[in-house]
Amino acid sequence: MAALIRSLRAVRSLRGLGSAVVVKTRPASQYSGLRRGFHRAALLRLADDSKSDQTVPPPSHHEHYQAQESREGSSTFSTEQASASDPGTQHEDPRPNTSYQDQSGEQAEDYETEDQLQARILTAALEFVPQHGWTVEAIAAGAETLGLSAASAGMFNNGAGDLVLHFVGQCNVQLAEILAEEHNQVQLGQAEKKKTADFLRHAVETRLRMLIPYIDTWPQAMSLLLLPHNIPESLKHLSALVDDIWYYAGDRSTDMSWYTRRAALTGIYNTTELVMVQDSSPDFEETWAFLDNRIGDVVNMANTAKQVQATGEAVVQGLMGAAVTLKNITGMNQRR
Amino acid sequence: MTFGLTLTAKMAASFKELTRKIVKITNTNVNFGSRNRLRNSFLRTEVSACRCCSGESAGSTHFGFETVPEGEKAERVYKVFESVAQKYDVMNDAMSLGIHRLWKDSLLHLMNPQPGSKLLDTAGGTGDISFRFLEYTRSVRERQLRHRARANQTPSWQEIAAGYGSEGAEPAESRAVVCDINKEMLKVGKERAETAGITTGLSWVVGDAEELPFNDDQFDVYTIAFGIRNVTHIEQALQEALRVLKPGGRFMCLEFSKVSNPLLSRLYDVYSFQMIPVLGEVIAGDWKSYQYLVESIRRFPDQETFKEMIEEAGFFRVQYVNLTGGVVAIHSGFKL
Repeated sequence: MAALIRSLRAVRSLRGLGSAVVVKTRPASQYSGLRRGFHRAALLRLADDSKSDQTVPPPSHHEHYQAQESREGSSTFSTEQASASDPGTQHEDPRPNTSYQDQSGEQAEDYETEDQLQARILTAALEFVPQHGWTVEAIAAGAETLGLSAASAGMFNNGAGDLVLHFVGQCNVQLAEILAEEHNQVQLGQAEKKKTADFLRHAVETRLRMLIPYIDTWPQAMSLLLLPHNIPESLKHLSALVDDIWYYAGDRSTDMSWYTRRAALTGIYNTTELVMVQDSSPDFEETWAFLDNRIGDVVNMANTAKQVQATGEAVVQGLMGAAVTLKNITGMNQRR
Repeated sequence: MTFGLTLTAKMAASFKELTRKIVKITNTNVNFGSRNRLRNSFLRTEVSACRCCSGESAGSTHFGFETVPEGEKAERVYKVFESVAQKYDVMNDAMSLGIHRLWKDSLLHLMNPQPGSKLLDTAGGTGDISFRFLEYTRSVRERQLRHRARANQTPSWQEIAAGYGSEGAEPAESRAVVCDINKEMLKVGKERAETAGITTGLSWVVGDAEELPFNDDQFDVYTIAFGIRNVTHIEQALQEALRVLKPGGRFMCLEFSKVSNPLLSRLYDVYSFQMIPVLGEVIAGDWKSYQYLVESIRRFPDQETFKEMIEEAGFFRVQYVNLTGGVVAIHSGFKL
């Protein structure tokens, strides 16, 4: 048995002999951890060409690629459409000898970095979340749909935390795209500009609606985000979200109101999220009503603040006037 | 679980860096066929040069602090383990004061295998890792079933009807294959399995780590615990590991490594060279084998070097964790 395998391998090594030298001329030291490329091979090669086009961009466009990919991946909230062809092709195509693809010396079309692969695994894992919760089992199941062994879930040092953070990041990117699209429409004059309160309401509602498919397990996700080692990341995502919403709402302030606005919106978002996880009304009507009230509160607060300031100024002026009059009456104002 | 990338032992000198650079440059120009052999001897030359040993010629390797022809090493290692097989487990407990159990438990914890995985326990000998693997996956599977049962306390008639169809679908069983070159060690392992009452899911195979008797893409996880330093051609063993792993599969190596803390290092050296051979003589009646053991630990490359070797073999996301201050290190890599 070993002899048979030995002979098979000898044949294979002879085949790879010529190209193997080319393979090894690239010293490993060139690769840093993040930018290591590897062939996705037939298992990960997707049948549709449109996807393979998207893998061409170099790692510097990594963020953009992720945004595109996440939009595609989550528009149907399942990667079945993208990966359905995978199990089919993987059995038909034998895994190509990677040295052949290296012969040209240039990157093959389906070269991707570890980060992109990790993102794909996590996106695939999202569809198993209702079944397994936000756990490593979901990641393992996601990896299996991509044709990888369940052991590859060990790649994620933060386990379930990685999955939740990935999902949150994906949602934020989606929201930013939606808001940018609407902004364009307003610029082109195809839609009319919303008032600030309406815009905030619309943005927060859109973002919270992305949680609906996972709402049953969302409390678990929230608790994961609150773990001490996840707090820096989750705070980053939250502040980026709030900043994006205010930016598209038209806020260009540079004074104290920059902080107060974002703090207010953070409070609104978090409290509405909490209301949403325990809301059982049809289509979460009560949540949106709560949201309306909170935004109304904030707007009221802003108006009240302005009124208080104006009143304060008026009062001060009145007092000054009274003081001057008093001085006139007592004759102290006259210059002798 | 978080990997802490601890700093490696202080590099011996810039001399070591220089020799390594020379090794890398010469390696890239060497023909593939004899690459492994030459590389092995170059690496060993580099290691031995740093230890101020006399230079070695190609075709010879280290056996502890001795230099032996390559062909001889495998034979001598075989004899060592043949003689220690009966007292192997007792000696492990005595030498490490029982801490080796914690090391092996850490390996399993890091691996976090999903139920239904296939493990190849190379140099598995008496089967410690495999037993732990089966226990781990079985308890995880039990927990999953309990969880599922609890969730199905009051199934609706739709759920009952849906359950009828999938009557025959059994979830995959986890399986472990213990592979060792030494029949004596496997014999001891089989006896242990019988006493422990583990009957299913375990196989015992005689095989050489440099030439595994398995087909490609078979296993989810490949482990080699305290065995790889006894292999004559480590690179070949790594390449075999890459071959038999499924795509997405994980390579894990538990091995003695360099202690970074100088004080601990001194204590460790004293303990190793003064106590362990004595224990070997007293308990197992074999001084020389345990002298070989502690010497072979010193000959094994340090954490960073071994990490580079694993990356050279073609694994991705290679990381290591130090246990007990660097006495033992767990290296992990993925086949992507």
